[in-house]
Formats: sequence, C-alpha cells, structure tokens
Amino acid sequence: MTARSLFIPITLLLVIAFLIGPFLIIVAASFSAGETLAFPPQGFSLRWIAKVFTVESFRASFGMSLFLAIGGTAAALVLGIPASYALSRYKLPGAEIVRTIVSAPIIVPGIIVGLALLRYIVVPFQVGITLALFLAHTALVLPYAVRVVSASLDNLRSDIEEAAVLLGSSRLGAFFRVVMPNIRGGIMSAFILGFVTSFNQVPVSLFLSGPGVRTLPVDMIAYMEIVFDPSVAALSSLLAFLSIGIVFIAERFLGFSRYV
Amino acid sequence: MNKVILASGAALMLAMSAAQTPALAQEKTLTISVYALAQDEYKQIVYEPFQKICGCKLVVETGNSVERLAKMEANKANPVVDMAVISMADALAASRAGLIDKVDTSKLSNFGKLYDIAKDPNGDGMSVGYTFYATSIAYRSDKMKIDSWADLLKPEYASHVAWPNVTTNQGPPALYMLGLALAKDTPDLKAPIEAVGAKKGEIVTFYEKSSQLVQLMQQEEIWAAPIGRFTWAPFTKLGFPIAWAMPKEGQTGGMNVMTVTKGSKNRDLALQFMDFWLSTEVQTKLAEKLIDSPSNKDVKLSEAIANNLTYGEETAKSLKLIPSAVALDNRAGWIKTWNEKVGQ
Amino acid sequence: MFQNRAEALALALPAAIFAAAVFLVPVVILLSDGFRAPTGGWTISAYTDFFSNSLNQTVFLRTLRLSALVTVASAVIGYAAAFAIVSLEPGAKGKVTGLVVLPLMISPVARTYAWIVILGRTGIVNQAFQALGITEAPLRILFSETAIFIGLLQLFLPLMIISLISALENMPKDAIPAARVLGANWFQVFWKVVLPLTKEGLVIGGTLVFTGSLTAYITPAILGGSKVLMLETLLYQQVAVSNNFVAASVIAFILIVMSFAANILLKRVATARNKQRSQA
Repeated sequence: MTARSLFIPITLLLVIAFLIGPFLIIVAASFSAGETLAFPPQGFSLRWIAKVFTVESFRASFGMSLFLAIGGTAAALVLGIPASYALSRYKLPGAEIVRTIVSAPIIVPGIIVGLALLRYIVVPFQVGITLALFLAHTALVLPYAVRVVSASLDNLRSDIEEAAVLLGSSRLGAFFRVVMPNIRGGIMSAFILGFVTSFNQVPVSLFLSGPGVRTLPVDMIAYMEIVFDPSVAALSSLLAFLSIGIVFIAERFLGFSRYV
Repeated sequence: MNKVILASGAALMLAMSAAQTPALAQEKTLTISVYALAQDEYKQIVYEPFQKICGCKLVVETGNSVERLAKMEANKANPVVDMAVISMADALAASRAGLIDKVDTSKLSNFGKLYDIAKDPNGDGMSVGYTFYATSIAYRSDKMKIDSWADLLKPEYASHVAWPNVTTNQGPPALYMLGLALAKDTPDLKAPIEAVGAKKGEIVTFYEKSSQLVQLMQQEEIWAAPIGRFTWAPFTKLGFPIAWAMPKEGQTGGMNVMTVTKGSKNRDLALQFMDFWLSTEVQTKLAEKLIDSPSNKDVKLSEAIANNLTYGEETAKSLKLIPSAVALDNRAGWIKTWNEKVGQ
Repeated sequence: MFQNRAEALALALPAAIFAAAVFLVPVVILLSDGFRAPTGGWTISAYTDFFSNSLNQTVFLRTLRLSALVTVASAVIGYAAAFAIVSLEPGAKGKVTGLVVLPLMISPVARTYAWIVILGRTGIVNQAFQALGITEAPLRILFSETAIFIGLLQLFLPLMIISLISALENMPKDAIPAARVLGANWFQVFWKVVLPLTKEGLVIGGTLVFTGSLTAYITPAILGGSKVLMLETLLYQQVAVSNNFVAASVIAFILIVMSFAANILLKRVATARNKQRSQA
C-alpha cells in the first residue's frame, strides 16, 4: 500500500464520519426510549416517532412547507432558467448587475429580509400571508436556481444549439429540443437544492407567517422554545428520510449526481 | 423618495395580490395571537369549545412574545389580530406604543374571581393576567445545597451552573433576585450583572433557550439553573434527584396577560373569548394538563397537580416580580451592561 | 454568444425585476435607516458609533476570524475530500457524494443539538480523549469558539465539497499527469495547476461557506450563547429584544459588506494564481 492509496479511504472515512456523525445521533435518538438525546441511545422505542404524528399543528404546517418548497422552487426555476440562459449565451447589457440582483438574497441575513418584507411589502400592499411567504421563498431560492442552472449551461457546448438554429430550428425550438434535455440534471439539482433551502428556512418565515399560516421549521422552533425532547429529533429524521427518498428517486430517473 | 421606489415594485405586487382573493369571512372570525406552547391541548380545551359557544371561527397566530409584538407594530394602521396574549412587560410596551386598548372588565363575568395581582398587573387597565409562574432554581440535591440565589456563584458550584441570558424572560428576574441576595438591588441590576460577569469563565453557559437545560442536566454538564416553573416537569423525569429551590430571598417569576388590540373590529367577541378562558372550568382543565397555573382563585387542584404548578394565593402574593415599567425603562441598559461584563 | 439584446433582456428581466421588487427594494429601504440622521439628511454616525464600542469590535473581529477559519478549513478539507471522491469509480462516487449531501437534509437545529451530545463533558470526544490519555479531566468544548467552529464547519462543508467536485470534474483529465511529467511536485501541481483550473468552484464554495457562517444564527446561539457573541446573535438581540431596527440594519449592512468583500477577495486570490500561471 502506498501513501497515496491510503490517502483516499482515510480522508473519506474521516470526512464522512464528521459529516454524518450528528445525523446518526439524531436518527438514533428518534428511536430511543429516553427523555433526551444521548449516545449511545437509552433503549429502543417508537414513542417519539409516534408522538410526531399526534401533534396536530405539525400536519398543517408540513403541508404549507411542502407547498412553499415545491411551488417556490418551481417559480424560481421558471424565472431563473431564462435568466441563466441569457447570462450564459447572450451579450447581455448589465449582465453583472442582473447577476448581483438575482443572487443578492443569499447574502442578506434572513432576519433582515423577513423584517424588510413585512414592513415594506406585506403591510403597505396588504399582501396575504400565503402569498407573502410564497414570494419570499421564490426570491430566496432564485439565487440557487440561477447559479446551478448557469453552471450546467456553461458546461454545455453552445455550438450544438447554434448548429440547430443554422439547420432551421427556431431559437425557442432549439432551446426546448437541444438545451433542455442536456441540462435536465442541472435543473434537477437546482430543484433539490432549492427544495432543501426553502424547507429548512427559518428567519424569513418567522416574520412572514401569521394567523393560521405557519411553516414546519417555524413550528418546530416554537415547539422547542421550551422543551427539546427526542420528538424534534424524530421529526427531523422523518423529514431527512423524505428528502433522501426524493433524491434517491431523482438519482434513479435522472442520474442527478452526474451533474452536481 | 421611498414612495417612488415602492411604486416601482407596486405594479407587480398589486397584480399578484389581485390574483389572490382576500379570504372574506362568511362567519364571524376572531383572530388571536398566543404563545406556541401546547397548541393541541389549547385547541381541545379552549378554542374548539369556544367556537361552539360563539358560532364563530378562531384564527390563531403563534410565536414568542417579541416577534408577535413586532408584527403587531408593523400592522398598527390595520390590525390583523383582535386579541393577544403576551408577557406583562410587553403589555406595557404595547400600551405605550398605542397598540392595545383598555380592557372593559365589566364584560368579564369571571373578573371578580381572579387573584388581585392578576386583575390589573400594570395598573393601567390595559391587561388582565391569565397565568403566572414562579422562577427559582432547579438543582441536583445530591450535589449541592441551595439556600440563597448567591449560592449559585459559590466557587464550588459556579462551574456547574447555567444562567439565563439577560435577553430571556428568566434573565432579569434571576439577576434581580441575585441583587437582593447581594443586598445591592438597584433597578439597573449593575451589581448582580457584575457578580455574574466575574464568574463568566466558570459558569457553563448563559442559555438562550430553556429547552437546552434538560439536555445539559441529563449529560451532567450542569447541576443547577434558574428556570420558570412551566419548564419544570421534564426535569422530574430524568431519574436524578432534582429539587426546586426555596431560597431565603424568595422566588421571582412572571405573568402572562391578555390584551385587546386597538382598532379591533371584534372587541366584544374578544372579551367573550377572554372571559371564557378565565372561567373556572377552562382554567381548571388547563391546570390539570400542567399547561398554565391558574389566575382564577376558584380553581381547586389536587396536591399532585398543584406541586407541579405555581398555585395558590400565598404563592401568588409571595412572588417578587419586577414591575413592568422598571423592566421596560431599564431593558436596554441591562443588555448594555450585560454585554460589557459578560459578553466580552 | 448570441447578440440579440432585446431577446436577452426579455429572458433576464423577469427574474431581475422580481428579485428587485420583492427583495432588493424593501431590504435597501430598511438598510437606509442606518444612514439616516435623526434631524433629516444622511450620516454614517451609526456606523462610527458601532465601531467605537469595544464590545462591538470584539464581536466583529471574532465573527470575521471564525468565518474566515471555517472557510479556510472547509477549503483544505474540501479539496482533499473532493480529490478522493472524483478518483472513485462512478458507482461509488455517486454513493459517497450522496453521503456528503446527506447532512444538508437534516434541520440545522437538530444538528446543533447533536453537537451538544458529542462535545459534552461525557460526550464521545471527551471519552475518546480520556481513553487515549490526551487529557485527564474532561475538556470544556461546548459554549466556546471551538464549538461554534465545529458546528459551522459541519453545517457548510458539504457546500464546499460539492462545488469543488464539479470544478475538479471539469478540469482537463491530463492536466495533473502532464504537470507531473514536467517535474512539478504535488504542492506545485496543486498551486499552479489545480487551483487556477478550479477557481470557479473555490469562489462559489468559499462564498457560500463564508456567507453562511456570517449569517448563521442557531448554531452560534446554541453552541456559543452570550459568552461567545457573534454579529448575527447581536443582530437578533437588536431586533427581537431591543426592537432597535436602526442598530439591526447597521449590523446587517456590515454583514453584507463583509460577504461582498470576501467574494471579491476570493476572486482576486484565484485570478492572481491564474496570472502567475500565464506568465510562467
């Protein structure tokens, strides 16, 4: 064994142990019988998993979070894909400005975004709570959509579509027939990244949620304001498995990891 | 200037909000704003029975006191919420900011049954207390003995203590009691903050969320922490000998109150709801589920239940609460002193 | 490159207008509060006040230091991990990438609590240290800068690794062997070949990690508490406890400037390497 051939497994082992360790503790705690998180877990039971399903408010807020994550990400892609295409294929006047505006939501602290939207959009224009959350989540996901889709467009040679246009296809036709199939993986990974971002978003939703409308992470934070019992861990694990399921299906059908 | 900038965004916003028809209520709707605590139980004990009585619909907003207050402030011109449940000090802040109205107690049939301290906690007629709680020290009785708030800072104990951050609801009351123990109880809390600051290296953490404490106690990171009685129950399940201290300076605590939003269009309905919540029946049920200690003195509880709550006239009277005005006028100063002595 | 301007604008403007209207404009109005003088007109006195306070200085420097450390550490570990991953065969590569992404799926709140278990006095780390004889009494790791560093690193490392994987995969396959044949040692290969060719990934990953560390709230709040304040925890205090929106907008603006500066700096570092290469 050379030093180099040992380097790969050892690095991977350490990095993955570091990244996955906390995850395993959360999963183990979900199935424990104890009153707190512990490692090794104290006994085995399904009581915390069962408890998640008995908390009524989790169900409603889960639906809202799912709607925002799917709807917001889809809307961000509808806006983001054409913008990425313009940024990567056209001589766009003010391209840098467009890029900065579109990716700005990443760098502003969420609590400020929430407060700003509440004071200057929701209140003056009397925007409904659901719509406000939807707009905010769309804006928050947009930077990821543009970034990931742009990256996969940049990796795609542009002469294919130019050839298609030369051969008589319309620009739009070339986009749908030639470009889209080739960046499908990029779109999928943008969708997953956007979904996860939106689904775990706390500070913006904190300010924009209102009477009768809450997202799941906000509900979770409220629930554990006073008590942190393993049911929060159980809920997190269930959500993680849901996301893993989505990624797995995406990987199966679209081979998403090739495009990350 | 702002208007010009806003107008540019307005077109899009209006187009989008027009697409969404405002939810016009077919029936009377009462919008309430409450703590996120135990919502499933509240729904069963308070909200659903009330909806049956009034034939109206309840819409519930949840969150902690400050966040919800910030939203009320933003919506001041066109209030969304009819009735809000907040802390005593926040009620005074809301009243100073012109967010809430006088409570017409003649419409509350249960008003006479309340403990005196709950009738008008801030002395301005703007709020009614529905629950109060004691704050004292939860500690490992096999590891230490707590007779005074100052015992927490003893050299042999300090490195096993979590102290509430000044920004939490328990922070200022705990400091206030420490001030009493040190016999330097000025409203600026300078002496107790300095005393805590001197031990900041030893004290395990200054907690922001009380939910951490059960975890820390279980891992034996800490042996003691000042807590509100409403977080006490989980500590009793850990399998350690954990006791509730009765320090010689006494216990402190806090009170949560009900308020009516200024400009609410459903004032009478809000009062009807408050009255229902204050009734002996509802307050008893909430107490039996260990959710809220009753402020209605007709509530009778078994000893087992009472031991887990803050119950009875004697207890209510003995709590050393910080007056709301003192809290509001000094809050910024406390945080400043705290950040200088503890945060640095 | 297509030249049609009207088409380009029609494609790009909806997204730009949307982001400007629902995001940029309200945020800019809020931030402008920090520059308003009480008597009318504009001033930067809120900023000079902020930086003249010694607590704020400490917190600012700590935030800068920790975020920079997390970014550097994640770049170093990220390169090692990304190298290891791209050298795997395709099947294994997908699975390992999946494991790297996995922690992103679990709520940051829950992950932060898991660190309390791991880093506690009786936690795994202390048990291992004591068993190995590194320390006799349990170390205090929780509620310190170290704890925040570990928490943030675990939170954001996956973003760096993923950015670097795609950058390394787009690198010409023969670049490294060619450099080796020409007699470069591994350090030179990395510095003169790999870094310039993967700078995009490093800039994206670095910006995500740095900005993420700057604006994380839950992790510093729970693993540090008020013993170890960061700008974001200070910001939260100003909004939620003191209702001081002006002070909050000052901190927010400082955070935004910091993350812009980091982005520019990272681009500079990467391009400087590039120039050296073209000269050599």
